[in-house]
Amino acid sequence: MDLAIGTPITPYRVRPSTVGLFRFSAATWNAHRVHYDAGHAAAEGYPGVLVQSHLHGCYLLDAVLAWAGPAATPRRFSWQNRGIAVAGDVLTVTGTVTAVDDDPQGGRRSVTVQLTEHNQRGELCAPGRAVVAMPL
Amino acid sequence: MALDIERTPPDLDRAYERLRGELDVERHERLGVVHARDLERFAVAAGTPAPWSSAPPLYVSSVMGWDVGPAEGELRPDGSGVAETRGLPLDGVRLMGAGQDLELHEPVRAGTAVVVHTRLTDVRRKDGRSGAFLVLEVLRRFTDDGGRPLVTCRESFIAR
Repeated sequence: MDLAIGTPITPYRVRPSTVGLFRFSAATWNAHRVHYDAGHAAAEGYPGVLVQSHLHGCYLLDAVLAWAGPAATPRRFSWQNRGIAVAGDVLTVTGTVTAVDDDPQGGRRSVTVQLTEHNQRGELCAPGRAVVAMPL
Repeated sequence: MALDIERTPPDLDRAYERLRGELDVERHERLGVVHARDLERFAVAAGTPAPWSSAPPLYVSSVMGWDVGPAEGELRPDGSGVAETRGLPLDGVRLMGAGQDLELHEPVRAGTAVVVHTRLTDVRRKDGRSGAFLVLEVLRRFTDDGGRPLVTCRESFIAR
């Protein structure tokens, strides 16, 4: 893969559903009602059931790994929850390579990608940063 | 005479004082063995593309409960449980995750026995537009039961 600073990753689009959010809550044993009880979410002032904080993180990192391919290994990853998303929103993760460090002797390179996740209105939900090891 | 019109809620005051006493105290807990079915369910729920030769990278730092959990009657009205406060003394306040910073040392494979070492590294009291809140910084080191590092998670929480 030809990589340089400024190379974009392939955009990654997801539309979390109420069923998907319920299953993520179940898989993480997270019983907070704001993720599956629309009445409770409305009482808290939200327009729908909320996408879990960690699920935003999964989307961001999955975007990088889907682009980088199965030989890539994540080494470091961070994200921040800045805006909410609810079931039915269309979330798009985009990213740009910001550093490439080759290790010819090890046959690997370290690639840093800055990431953002926005909803369908262009509002920022979560920025992130990933460092992945990839074969040269 | 100055009027203290933006009083911090008493629960928040108490939580702050309790948390100050927890600073830099490391707690250790054996979480249990990772099962293939559980990590695959996580991957399916998150939409993580297959194949899943190991746990999705966010698996260990995302799971809120590793044991059977409390009975429904012991949950808070919002459905959350005490264990979701990362073992910190936070009764009476709500905890919201603000993100994580993860060092991914080794893939976590099915059959691995996971141990978490948790430490509160900072707690600050702040005032925002919607009232007072606490910002917590928590360090969680996940290792296997032999002490081999798996994931290091630095995490920020807002407690209201």
